[in-house]
Amino acid sequence: MNNVKAVFFTLFPFLVTIFLWRLSVYFWNPGGILALIPIFYYTFVKQTDWFAGFALLFCFLIDYRCGLPLFWTSIFCLAYAINGFQKYVDIPHMDRNAMYLFMLFTGAGIFILIFANLTWKNLINNLWLFVWLNVLYMPITSIDSLFKYKRKSITDTR
Amino acid sequence: MSADAYFDILKRKIKFLLNIGIFAFKVFFMTKDKLSYKLIKILKSTLAAIAVPVFFIYVMISKPDYTIMNGLAHVVLPVANFVGDVVTWPIHVVGNSITWVRETSQIRAENKRLREKLDTLLSQKYEYEVALAENKRLEQELDVKKSSPYLTVVADIQFNDSVFHHTAFLINRGTKSGLERGMVVVSFDNRMVGMISDCGSQFCRVRALSDSDSNIAIRIAGADVAGFLQGNGKTGASVGFFSDTQFSGRQGLKVITSNISGILPSGIYVGDMIDENRVDVLSPNKISRVLVLKFDNNGSYK
Repeated sequence: MNNVKAVFFTLFPFLVTIFLWRLSVYFWNPGGILALIPIFYYTFVKQTDWFAGFALLFCFLIDYRCGLPLFWTSIFCLAYAINGFQKYVDIPHMDRNAMYLFMLFTGAGIFILIFANLTWKNLINNLWLFVWLNVLYMPITSIDSLFKYKRKSITDTR
Repeated sequence: MSADAYFDILKRKIKFLLNIGIFAFKVFFMTKDKLSYKLIKILKSTLAAIAVPVFFIYVMISKPDYTIMNGLAHVVLPVANFVGDVVTWPIHVVGNSITWVRETSQIRAENKRLREKLDTLLSQKYEYEVALAENKRLEQELDVKKSSPYLTVVADIQFNDSVFHHTAFLINRGTKSGLERGMVVVSFDNRMVGMISDCGSQFCRVRALSDSDSNIAIRIAGADVAGFLQGNGKTGASVGFFSDTQFSGRQGLKVITSNISGILPSGIYVGDMIDENRVDVLSPNKISRVLVLKFDNNGSYK
Protein backbone atom coordinates (compact mmCIF):
# COMPACT_ATOMS: atom_id res chain seq x y z
CA MET A 1 0.00 0.00 0.00
CA ASN A 2 2.84 2.34 0.85
CA ASN A 3 4.40 1.63 -2.52
CA VAL A 4 1.15 2.56 -4.27
CA LYS A 5 1.02 5.78 -2.27
CA ALA A 6 4.63 6.55 -3.12
CA VAL A 7 4.01 5.98 -6.83
CA PHE A 8 0.88 8.15 -6.72
CA PHE A 9 2.57 11.04 -4.93
CA THR A 10 5.60 10.84 -7.19
CA LEU A 11 3.40 10.87 -10.27
CA PHE A 12 1.05 13.52 -8.87
CA PRO A 13 2.60 16.53 -10.71
CA PHE A 14 2.40 14.64 -14.01
CA LEU A 15 -1.13 13.40 -13.37
CA VAL A 16 -2.50 16.79 -12.38
CA THR A 17 -1.02 18.33 -15.53
CA ILE A 18 -2.59 15.66 -17.77
CA PHE A 19 -5.85 15.95 -15.83
CA LEU A 20 -6.16 19.71 -16.29
CA TRP A 21 -5.06 19.54 -19.92
CA ARG A 22 -7.50 16.76 -20.80
CA LEU A 23 -10.44 18.36 -19.01
CA SER A 24 -10.63 21.21 -21.44
CA VAL A 25 -14.00 22.91 -21.45
CA TYR A 26 -15.16 25.87 -23.46
CA PHE A 27 -14.84 29.11 -21.46
CA TRP A 28 -13.63 27.51 -18.16
CA ASN A 29 -10.58 25.69 -19.45
CA PRO A 30 -10.20 26.31 -23.19
CA GLY A 31 -7.44 24.26 -24.78
CA GLY A 32 -6.53 22.88 -21.36
CA ILE A 33 -4.91 26.22 -20.50
CA LEU A 34 -5.25 25.56 -16.75
CA ALA A 35 -2.44 23.01 -17.11
CA LEU A 36 -0.12 26.05 -17.11
CA ILE A 37 -0.59 26.16 -13.33
CA PRO A 38 1.08 22.80 -12.52
CA ILE A 39 3.52 23.37 -15.39
CA PHE A 40 4.76 26.57 -13.72
CA TYR A 41 4.55 25.32 -10.14
CA TYR A 42 6.38 22.02 -10.59
CA THR A 43 9.01 23.51 -12.90
CA PHE A 44 9.94 26.66 -11.03
CA VAL A 45 8.55 26.48 -7.49
CA LYS A 46 8.51 22.88 -6.36
CA GLN A 47 11.00 21.61 -8.89
CA THR A 48 10.36 17.98 -9.70
CA ASP A 49 12.70 15.54 -11.37
CA TRP A 50 12.02 14.99 -15.07
CA PHE A 51 9.16 17.46 -15.01
CA ALA A 52 10.70 20.20 -17.19
CA GLY A 53 10.67 18.06 -20.36
CA PHE A 54 7.13 16.94 -19.61
CA ALA A 55 6.08 20.57 -19.05
CA LEU A 56 7.62 21.53 -22.39
CA LEU A 57 5.61 18.79 -24.10
CA PHE A 58 2.37 19.98 -22.54
CA CYS A 59 3.08 23.60 -23.43
CA PHE A 60 3.42 22.33 -26.99
CA LEU A 61 0.10 20.47 -26.72
CA ILE A 62 -1.66 23.54 -25.30
CA ASP A 63 -0.27 25.56 -28.20
CA TYR A 64 -1.37 22.99 -30.73
CA ARG A 65 -4.92 22.93 -29.44
CA CYS A 66 -5.15 26.70 -29.05
CA GLY A 67 -3.80 27.28 -32.58
CA LEU A 68 -0.85 29.27 -31.24
CA PRO A 69 2.24 27.75 -32.85
CA LEU A 70 4.90 27.28 -30.14
CA PHE A 71 3.75 30.36 -28.23
CA TRP A 72 3.52 29.09 -24.64
CA THR A 73 6.39 26.69 -25.43
CA SER A 74 8.61 29.67 -26.25
CA ILE A 75 7.44 31.62 -23.18
CA PHE A 76 8.16 28.57 -21.02
CA CYS A 77 11.65 28.12 -22.53
CA LEU A 78 12.37 31.82 -22.00
CA ALA A 79 11.25 31.67 -18.37
CA TYR A 80 13.25 28.48 -17.83
CA ALA A 81 16.39 30.06 -19.30
CA ILE A 82 16.01 33.24 -17.25
CA ASN A 83 15.45 31.23 -14.08
CA GLY A 84 18.47 29.05 -14.78
CA PHE A 85 20.85 31.95 -15.33
CA GLN A 86 19.75 34.05 -12.37
CA LYS A 87 20.56 33.45 -8.72
CA TYR A 88 19.03 36.51 -7.09
CA VAL A 89 15.40 35.48 -6.79
CA ASP A 90 14.90 32.20 -4.96
CA ILE A 91 11.61 31.11 -6.48
CA PRO A 92 11.11 27.93 -4.38
CA HIS A 93 11.06 30.06 -1.21
CA MET A 94 8.91 32.93 -2.41
CA ASP A 95 5.67 33.76 -0.62
CA ARG A 96 2.32 32.41 -1.81
CA ASN A 97 3.95 29.70 -3.94
CA ALA A 98 5.52 32.42 -6.14
CA MET A 99 2.09 33.52 -7.30
CA TYR A 100 3.37 36.93 -8.37
CA LEU A 101 5.84 35.33 -10.71
CA PHE A 102 3.05 33.17 -12.12
CA MET A 103 1.10 36.38 -12.72
CA LEU A 104 4.12 37.73 -14.56
CA PHE A 105 4.48 34.50 -16.56
CA THR A 106 0.84 34.35 -17.69
CA GLY A 107 0.49 38.12 -17.85
CA ALA A 108 3.39 38.45 -20.29
CA GLY A 109 1.91 35.82 -22.59
CA ILE A 110 -1.63 37.15 -22.43
CA PHE A 111 -0.39 40.73 -22.92
CA ILE A 112 1.21 39.70 -26.22
CA LEU A 113 -1.94 37.82 -27.26
CA ILE A 114 -4.13 40.86 -26.53
CA PHE A 115 -2.09 42.89 -29.01
CA ALA A 116 -2.09 40.07 -31.55
CA ASN A 117 -5.82 40.71 -32.03
CA LEU A 118 -6.90 43.91 -30.40
CA THR A 119 -10.68 43.96 -30.05
CA TRP A 120 -12.82 44.70 -26.99
CA LYS A 121 -14.22 41.21 -26.81
CA ASN A 122 -10.79 39.57 -27.05
CA LEU A 123 -9.44 42.00 -24.47
CA ILE A 124 -12.20 41.03 -22.02
CA ASN A 125 -11.78 37.33 -22.79
CA ASN A 126 -8.03 37.47 -22.25
CA LEU A 127 -8.42 39.45 -19.03
CA TRP A 128 -10.94 36.88 -17.81
CA LEU A 129 -8.49 34.07 -18.59
CA PHE A 130 -5.71 35.91 -16.75
CA VAL A 131 -7.88 36.43 -13.67
CA TRP A 132 -9.23 32.86 -13.76
CA LEU A 133 -5.74 31.33 -14.06
CA ASN A 134 -4.47 33.35 -11.12
CA VAL A 135 -7.52 32.76 -8.96
CA LEU A 136 -7.07 29.02 -9.37
CA TYR A 137 -3.31 29.09 -8.87
CA MET A 138 -3.34 29.00 -5.08
CA PRO A 139 -6.03 26.29 -4.66
CA ILE A 140 -4.41 23.99 -7.22
CA THR A 141 -0.87 24.43 -5.90
CA SER A 142 -2.06 24.06 -2.31
CA ILE A 143 -3.28 20.50 -3.01
CA ASP A 144 0.34 19.40 -3.16
CA SER A 145 1.13 20.71 0.31
CA LEU A 146 -1.74 18.65 1.77
CA PHE A 147 0.23 15.49 1.11
CA LYS A 148 2.46 14.37 3.91
CA TYR A 149 4.56 12.33 1.51
CA LYS A 150 7.94 13.87 0.77
CA ARG A 151 8.57 13.77 -2.97
CA LYS A 152 12.14 13.62 -4.17
CA SER A 153 12.86 17.05 -5.56
CA ILE A 154 15.86 18.78 -7.05
CA THR A 155 15.80 21.90 -4.91
CA ASP A 156 13.23 21.19 -2.28
CA THR A 157 14.73 22.58 0.92
CA ARG A 158 11.45 23.22 2.74
CA MET B 1 37.79 48.32 -3.54
CA SER B 2 38.27 44.59 -4.07
CA ALA B 3 36.12 42.62 -6.52
CA ASP B 4 34.46 40.63 -3.71
CA ALA B 5 33.49 43.76 -1.82
CA TYR B 6 32.15 45.30 -5.03
CA PHE B 7 29.90 42.26 -5.77
CA ASP B 8 28.72 42.13 -2.15
CA ILE B 9 27.54 45.73 -2.38
CA LEU B 10 25.94 45.00 -5.75
CA LYS B 11 24.07 42.00 -4.31
CA ARG B 12 22.85 44.07 -1.38
CA LYS B 13 21.62 46.79 -3.76
CA ILE B 14 19.70 44.30 -5.91
CA LYS B 15 18.22 42.69 -2.80
CA PHE B 16 17.15 46.09 -1.52
CA LEU B 17 15.59 47.10 -4.87
CA LEU B 18 13.64 43.83 -5.16
CA ASN B 19 12.39 44.08 -1.59
CA ILE B 20 10.98 47.58 -2.04
CA GLY B 21 9.24 46.50 -5.25
CA ILE B 22 5.48 46.38 -5.49
CA PHE B 23 5.29 42.73 -4.50
CA ALA B 24 8.30 42.72 -2.14
CA PHE B 25 9.98 39.53 -3.42
CA LYS B 26 11.55 37.48 -0.71
CA VAL B 27 15.16 37.45 -1.86
CA PHE B 28 18.05 35.41 -0.68
CA PHE B 29 20.69 33.57 -2.55
CA MET B 30 20.51 29.89 -3.33
CA THR B 31 23.08 27.69 -1.68
CA LYS B 32 23.35 24.81 -4.07
CA ASP B 33 27.09 24.41 -4.18
CA LYS B 34 27.48 21.17 -6.04
CA LEU B 35 29.37 21.75 -9.28
CA SER B 36 27.49 19.01 -11.15
CA TYR B 37 24.14 20.56 -10.14
CA LYS B 38 25.26 23.98 -11.32
CA LEU B 39 26.63 22.64 -14.61
CA ILE B 40 23.47 20.70 -15.41
CA LYS B 41 21.34 23.71 -14.54
CA ILE B 42 23.39 25.98 -16.81
CA LEU B 43 23.32 23.40 -19.60
CA LYS B 44 19.53 23.05 -19.38
CA SER B 45 19.06 26.82 -19.29
CA THR B 46 21.37 27.25 -22.28
CA LEU B 47 19.35 24.71 -24.26
CA ALA B 48 16.13 26.50 -23.31
CA ALA B 49 17.64 29.85 -24.31
CA ILE B 50 18.74 28.45 -27.67
CA ALA B 51 15.27 26.95 -28.24
CA VAL B 52 13.53 30.36 -28.13
CA PRO B 53 15.10 31.87 -31.31
CA VAL B 54 14.97 28.44 -32.99
CA PHE B 55 11.21 28.27 -32.36
CA PHE B 56 10.78 31.84 -33.54
CA ILE B 57 12.65 31.22 -36.79
CA TYR B 58 10.77 27.94 -37.33
CA VAL B 59 7.38 29.66 -36.89
CA MET B 60 8.41 32.38 -39.36
CA ILE B 61 9.75 29.94 -41.96
CA SER B 62 7.18 27.17 -41.67
CA LYS B 63 4.08 29.38 -41.64
CA PRO B 64 1.30 28.38 -42.47
CA ASP B 65 1.96 24.61 -42.81
CA TYR B 66 4.03 23.93 -39.65
CA THR B 67 4.87 20.48 -41.04
CA ILE B 68 7.26 19.36 -38.26
CA MET B 69 5.08 20.76 -35.49
CA ASN B 70 1.91 19.16 -36.84
CA GLY B 71 3.75 15.88 -37.50
CA LEU B 72 4.91 15.79 -33.89
CA ALA B 73 1.39 16.61 -32.66
CA HIS B 74 -0.03 13.72 -34.74
CA VAL B 75 2.08 11.34 -32.64
CA VAL B 76 1.95 13.03 -29.23
CA LEU B 77 -1.70 14.15 -29.14
CA PRO B 78 -3.34 10.69 -29.45
CA VAL B 79 -1.00 9.29 -26.76
CA ALA B 80 -1.69 12.24 -24.44
CA ASN B 81 -5.43 11.93 -25.11
CA PHE B 82 -5.36 8.24 -24.25
CA VAL B 83 -3.47 8.84 -20.99
CA GLY B 84 -5.78 11.79 -20.27
CA ASP B 85 -8.84 9.59 -20.83
CA VAL B 86 -7.50 7.09 -18.30
CA VAL B 87 -6.72 9.81 -15.74
CA THR B 88 -10.04 11.60 -16.14
CA TRP B 89 -12.37 8.62 -16.59
CA PRO B 90 -14.32 9.18 -13.33
CA ILE B 91 -15.12 12.74 -14.41
CA HIS B 92 -16.19 11.56 -17.86
CA VAL B 93 -18.36 8.77 -16.42
CA VAL B 94 -20.18 11.25 -14.17
CA GLY B 95 -20.45 13.84 -16.97
CA ASN B 96 -21.77 11.29 -19.47
CA SER B 97 -24.31 9.98 -16.95
CA ILE B 98 -25.65 13.47 -16.28
CA THR B 99 -25.86 14.14 -20.03
CA TRP B 100 -27.67 10.82 -20.57
CA VAL B 101 -30.25 11.56 -17.86
CA ARG B 102 -30.82 15.08 -19.18
CA GLU B 103 -31.16 13.93 -22.79
CA THR B 104 -33.50 11.09 -21.88
CA SER B 105 -35.79 13.45 -20.02
CA GLN B 106 -35.92 15.74 -23.04
CA ILE B 107 -36.53 13.05 -25.65
CA ARG B 108 -40.34 12.82 -25.27
CA ALA B 109 -40.86 16.55 -25.59
CA GLU B 110 -38.42 16.69 -28.49
CA ASN B 111 -40.19 13.82 -30.24
CA LYS B 112 -43.50 15.66 -30.08
CA ARG B 113 -41.91 18.84 -31.42
CA LEU B 114 -40.13 16.96 -34.21
CA ARG B 115 -43.33 15.23 -35.35
CA GLU B 116 -45.04 18.59 -35.72
CA LYS B 117 -42.04 19.92 -37.60
CA LEU B 118 -41.98 16.85 -39.85
CA ASP B 119 -45.61 17.36 -40.85
CA THR B 120 -44.91 20.97 -41.79
CA LEU B 121 -41.78 20.04 -43.73
CA LEU B 122 -43.50 17.22 -45.63
CA SER B 123 -46.14 19.65 -46.77
CA GLN B 124 -43.39 21.95 -48.11
CA LYS B 125 -41.40 19.11 -49.66
CA TYR B 126 -43.34 18.88 -52.95
CA GLU B 127 -43.04 22.61 -53.48
CA TYR B 128 -39.21 22.39 -53.14
CA GLU B 129 -38.99 19.32 -55.37
CA VAL B 130 -40.63 21.25 -58.17
CA ALA B 131 -38.24 24.18 -57.58
CA LEU B 132 -35.26 21.81 -57.55
CA ALA B 133 -36.22 20.22 -60.86
CA GLU B 134 -36.71 23.66 -62.33
CA ASN B 135 -33.32 24.77 -60.98
CA LYS B 136 -31.58 21.72 -62.51
CA ARG B 137 -33.11 22.41 -65.90
CA LEU B 138 -31.98 26.06 -65.72
CA GLU B 139 -28.46 25.00 -64.71
CA GLN B 140 -28.26 22.69 -67.73
CA GLU B 141 -29.44 25.48 -70.00
CA LEU B 142 -26.92 27.95 -68.55
CA ASP B 143 -24.13 25.31 -68.44
CA VAL B 144 -23.45 25.87 -64.74
CA LYS B 145 -21.08 23.29 -63.22
CA LYS B 146 -21.45 22.63 -59.52
CA SER B 147 -19.32 20.61 -57.17
CA SER B 148 -21.07 17.96 -55.22
CA PRO B 149 -19.70 16.09 -52.23
CA TYR B 150 -18.77 12.45 -52.85
CA LEU B 151 -17.56 11.81 -49.34
CA THR B 152 -19.54 12.77 -46.28
CA VAL B 153 -18.17 11.81 -42.89
CA VAL B 154 -20.00 12.29 -39.61
CA ALA B 155 -17.69 13.38 -36.79
CA ASP B 156 -18.07 14.32 -33.15
CA ILE B 157 -16.48 17.45 -31.74
CA GLN B 158 -13.89 16.22 -29.24
CA PHE B 159 -12.59 19.50 -27.87
CA ASN B 160 -13.70 23.04 -28.37
CA ASP B 161 -10.51 25.01 -28.05
CA SER B 162 -11.76 28.53 -28.61
CA VAL B 163 -9.26 30.63 -26.75
CA PHE B 164 -7.59 34.01 -27.22
CA HIS B 165 -8.32 35.10 -30.80
CA HIS B 166 -8.46 31.57 -32.18
CA THR B 167 -11.56 29.46 -32.61
CA ALA B 168 -10.50 25.92 -33.40
CA PHE B 169 -11.85 22.54 -32.45
CA LEU B 170 -10.84 18.91 -32.78
CA ILE B 171 -13.04 16.25 -34.37
CA ASN B 172 -12.70 12.52 -33.83
CA ARG B 173 -12.12 11.51 -37.48
CA GLY B 174 -8.86 11.73 -39.38
CA THR B 175 -6.95 10.46 -42.40
CA LYS B 176 -8.11 6.90 -41.60
CA SER B 177 -11.66 8.03 -42.41
CA GLY B 178 -10.47 9.64 -45.64
CA LEU B 179 -10.32 13.21 -44.35
CA GLU B 180 -7.76 15.70 -45.60
CA ARG B 181 -6.67 19.23 -44.94
CA GLY B 182 -8.89 21.83 -46.62
CA MET B 183 -12.14 19.86 -46.45
CA VAL B 184 -15.31 21.72 -45.54
CA VAL B 185 -17.01 21.11 -42.21
CA VAL B 186 -20.74 21.80 -41.98
CA SER B 187 -23.40 21.39 -39.34
CA PHE B 188 -26.27 18.93 -39.75
CA ASP B 189 -28.46 21.71 -41.13
CA ASN B 190 -25.83 22.26 -43.88
CA ARG B 191 -24.42 25.46 -42.47
CA MET B 192 -20.68 25.95 -42.84
CA VAL B 193 -18.72 25.74 -39.57
CA GLY B 194 -15.12 25.82 -40.79
CA MET B 195 -12.36 24.09 -42.68
CA ILE B 196 -9.91 21.36 -41.67
CA SER B 197 -6.56 22.99 -40.95
CA ASP B 198 -4.63 19.90 -39.87
CA CYS B 199 -5.31 16.20 -40.03
CA GLY B 200 -3.91 13.36 -37.94
CA SER B 201 -4.71 9.69 -38.36
CA GLN B 202 -7.65 9.72 -35.95
CA PHE B 203 -8.37 13.38 -35.40
CA CYS B 204 -8.54 16.65 -37.31
CA ARG B 205 -8.24 20.22 -36.19
CA VAL B 206 -10.89 22.47 -37.70
CA ARG B 207 -10.50 26.22 -38.03
CA ALA B 208 -13.88 27.83 -37.41
CA LEU B 209 -15.10 30.76 -39.48
CA SER B 210 -14.68 33.15 -36.56
CA ASP B 211 -10.97 32.27 -36.14
CA SER B 212 -8.79 35.31 -36.85
CA ASP B 213 -6.81 33.27 -39.42
CA SER B 214 -9.94 32.30 -41.34
CA ASN B 215 -10.52 34.11 -44.64
CA ILE B 216 -12.91 32.64 -47.19
CA ALA B 217 -14.51 33.79 -50.43
CA ILE B 218 -18.23 34.43 -50.15
CA ARG B 219 -21.17 35.65 -52.21
CA ILE B 220 -24.44 37.28 -51.32
CA ALA B 221 -27.22 34.85 -52.21
CA GLY B 222 -29.47 36.24 -54.93
CA ALA B 223 -27.08 39.07 -55.84
CA ASP B 224 -24.01 39.22 -58.04
CA VAL B 225 -21.83 40.51 -55.21
CA ALA B 226 -18.79 38.65 -53.89
CA GLY B 227 -16.37 39.35 -51.07
CA PHE B 228 -14.10 37.86 -48.46
CA LEU B 229 -15.22 36.84 -45.00
CA GLN B 230 -12.59 37.35 -42.30
CA GLY B 231 -12.83 35.91 -38.78
CA ASN B 232 -12.64 38.38 -35.86
CA GLY B 233 -11.56 35.99 -33.15
CA LYS B 234 -14.44 35.25 -30.85
CA THR B 235 -16.52 38.16 -32.05
CA GLY B 236 -17.69 36.40 -35.21
CA ALA B 237 -16.80 37.28 -38.77
CA SER B 238 -17.15 40.24 -41.08
CA VAL B 239 -16.89 40.89 -44.80
CA GLY B 240 -13.73 42.83 -45.60
CA PHE B 241 -14.93 44.30 -48.89
CA PHE B 242 -17.54 43.68 -51.54
CA SER B 243 -16.80 43.30 -55.26
CA ASP B 244 -19.47 45.93 -55.93
CA THR B 245 -18.37 49.10 -54.13
CA GLN B 246 -21.89 50.53 -54.33
CA PHE B 247 -23.29 47.54 -52.46
CA SER B 248 -24.09 47.94 -48.81
CA GLY B 249 -24.89 44.96 -46.62
CA ARG B 250 -27.99 44.87 -44.46
CA GLN B 251 -29.54 42.66 -41.86
CA GLY B 252 -31.03 39.41 -43.09
CA LEU B 253 -29.08 38.95 -46.33
CA LYS B 254 -27.95 35.35 -46.83
CA VAL B 255 -24.23 34.73 -47.28
CA ILE B 256 -23.02 31.64 -49.15
CA THR B 257 -19.56 30.40 -50.18
CA SER B 258 -18.07 31.36 -53.51
CA ASN B 259 -15.42 29.58 -55.57
CA ILE B 260 -13.65 32.81 -56.55
CA SER B 261 -10.33 31.84 -54.99
CA GLY B 262 -10.68 28.18 -55.98
CA ILE B 263 -10.52 26.97 -52.40
CA LEU B 264 -14.17 26.39 -51.59
CA PRO B 265 -17.06 25.01 -53.60
CA SER B 266 -19.81 27.53 -54.13
CA GLY B 267 -23.25 27.57 -52.60
CA ILE B 268 -22.67 26.41 -49.02
CA TYR B 269 -24.72 28.48 -46.60
CA VAL B 270 -22.48 30.52 -44.25
CA GLY B 271 -24.88 32.72 -42.29
CA ASP B 272 -27.05 35.81 -42.29
CA MET B 273 -25.74 39.36 -42.27
CA ILE B 274 -26.26 41.22 -38.99
CA ASP B 275 -25.40 44.70 -40.25
CA GLU B 276 -23.34 46.31 -43.03
CA ASN B 277 -20.33 44.00 -42.60
CA ARG B 278 -20.83 41.50 -39.83
CA VAL B 279 -22.11 38.00 -40.51
CA ASP B 280 -23.71 35.71 -37.95
CA VAL B 281 -21.56 32.60 -38.38
CA LEU B 282 -22.17 29.33 -36.54
CA SER B 283 -20.11 29.05 -33.39
CA PRO B 284 -18.66 25.56 -32.68
CA ASN B 285 -19.77 25.69 -29.05
CA LYS B 286 -23.40 25.46 -30.21
CA ILE B 287 -22.96 22.05 -31.87
CA SER B 288 -21.55 18.69 -30.86
CA ARG B 289 -21.56 16.82 -34.16
CA VAL B 290 -20.58 17.86 -37.68
CA LEU B 291 -20.40 16.63 -41.26
CA VAL B 292 -17.16 16.74 -43.22
CA LEU B 293 -17.57 17.11 -46.98
CA LYS B 294 -15.09 16.14 -49.64
CA PHE B 295 -15.81 17.47 -53.08
CA ASP B 296 -15.35 15.74 -56.40
CA ASN B 297 -12.82 18.03 -58.02
CA ASN B 298 -9.66 16.97 -56.19
CA GLY B 299 -8.94 20.01 -54.10
CA SER B 300 -9.26 22.59 -56.87
CA TYR B 301 -12.86 23.67 -57.01
CA LYS B 302 -13.88 24.83 -60.48
